[in-house]
Amino acid sequence: MSVQLTVEQAAFLQGPVSINVGASGRDGWPRVCRAQGCVVARDRRSVTLLLSARRGRDLLDALDAGSGIAAVFSRPSTHATLQLKAAHAARVTLNAVLRADNGRYAQAFADELMGLGFGAEPGQNLIAVMTSSDLAALRFTPDIVFDQTPGPTAGRVLAAA
Amino acid sequence: MKPTLESLRSCLDGAIPAVVATCAQDGTPNVAYASQVHYVDAGHVALSYQFFSKTRENVLAHPYAQVQVVEPGSFRHFRLKLHYQRTETEGPLFEYMKAQLAGIAAQTRMDKVFMLRGADIYRVLDIESVDPHIPPAPLPSDALLGLRRALDLLGDAADLSDLADRALAALTPGFGIRHALLLMLDEAGDALYALGSLGYPDSGIGAEVKVGEGLIGVAARERIPIRINYRTGDYTYQAAMRATHATEPRIPLPLLANPHSRIAVPLIHGGRIIGVLYAESEHDAFFSHADEDALVVYARHLAVLVAQAACESDDAEPAHIEPAARPSGAPLAVRYFAADHSVFVDNDYLIKGVAGSILWTLLNEHAANGRRDFCNRELRHDPRLPLPDVGDNLETRLILLQRRLAERCPAIALEKTGRGRFRLSVERPLQLST
Repeated sequence: MSVQLTVEQAAFLQGPVSINVGASGRDGWPRVCRAQGCVVARDRRSVTLLLSARRGRDLLDALDAGSGIAAVFSRPSTHATLQLKAAHAARVTLNAVLRADNGRYAQAFADELMGLGFGAEPGQNLIAVMTSSDLAALRFTPDIVFDQTPGPTAGRVLAAA
Repeated sequence: MKPTLESLRSCLDGAIPAVVATCAQDGTPNVAYASQVHYVDAGHVALSYQFFSKTRENVLAHPYAQVQVVEPGSFRHFRLKLHYQRTETEGPLFEYMKAQLAGIAAQTRMDKVFMLRGADIYRVLDIESVDPHIPPAPLPSDALLGLRRALDLLGDAADLSDLADRALAALTPGFGIRHALLLMLDEAGDALYALGSLGYPDSGIGAEVKVGEGLIGVAARERIPIRINYRTGDYTYQAAMRATHATEPRIPLPLLANPHSRIAVPLIHGGRIIGVLYAESEHDAFFSHADEDALVVYARHLAVLVAQAACESDDAEPAHIEPAARPSGAPLAVRYFAADHSVFVDNDYLIKGVAGSILWTLLNEHAANGRRDFCNRELRHDPRLPLPDVGDNLETRLILLQRRLAERCPAIALEKTGRGRFRLSVERPLQLST
């Protein structure tokens, strides 16, 4: 049975969080890429991440080759951080909902950073980096959820399949 | 063209957290935030090791990592392909990262969580520019131009006192620095004392900092520049520890109550540390990597000039001028404590150490025979003064004494009358006691 995320966790993953995805490359080297949006399935058992195909070329190649996936979500204003892992991730077809999510996410994340004192111009630059016409979507069902907020509880398992 | 690590130093200042990806031996990936990715040299970075984490477990078993860093302003991303080499748990790099981590920790309100256990050194095998189409962030102010301007203003100082004043004054037009201290190492090499300051209501001249304590003391002990770009609540990284004993006479350091950026740069000449230049700002991220480079060069240049000024021959004989007429008015009660050579005037602490014993010697000479003209050479050979045989900094002690008197006890003054010569003037009768 896969993990079912809590309502709060699902909201957190879809909020103004920094999202970074890792995989193990065909050559054994780790790969990382920033994701540009996240949509949690209605049943809260699967997560779909959006990435630029060009920016994430090596990561997507690693996942295509069967690597496991790790995704870390962190809210800059609170440092609250979750990491989700799964044995594999599959590419899914992009639809209008996912495309719209990319724009919504980039704006929300830029607003979060601007609230922390990053200026308006850096915010616009962030939106430029975080919106892409070459989006790829990756879906996975988390096997395990970790609390990774810096502090004594970092690394604690919150849920496991 | 591949970016160089040097060109990415602004990404390594902690403004936007870096992420590090690693793999376990079974290939399971892990992604974590790196508190600090520190520029070591053109081919290496160091990551802070604060607690045993999955990242650390992974790199010890499978020593490869990919780190993603972000350029503030442009949000251009870069990926560094890293190979773990070793961990350092002491020494200059460790101390620098420890101090800097305290700043980052405070900025992220994680003071209690972040404690450096080691500096993990990685070799950088490759750098990938993820967003080559995004224009780079605007260049920060030109630190090299600032350095040139500051050196121009340093000019040809007339003497050590003038040099100290110019060295501090040049920091504002040169680097935009408005608050700074110039400290010299004492004879024993275990403390620094402030010779001059810039931008504080109280000058703090004569204030002491123990070597190894606080940001200034650690920079002196490790002989490295240390730059903290965010406000830190960690008391060990305040610029200096406060006096250890409440009853110990001391001159308070005049520093900002709440500095957001700080830098301490040692003055090194001929392999020897002679002092520390300290600067601070009320703004976050005030000092860039390039500013650090420029201030290191500035401090080295200043160290050469200080060493030259201190070496100038002072074989002059004291001028023979008739003793001054005895002053009138209420007497000044001057008390001397031989244990630490401290001098109190009308019960107010004035100075201690070498400068205190110099003052006491001069005042006794003056009281005995009205003498007011002296020379450095005789002080050097005076057995009553605790000066070391070699490498003394008598001249800086005299400047310290002169400045402290001018601030706290204008009835007694020291005036330079020539190279290696000076005059004591006393405007009120003295009542000396021990």
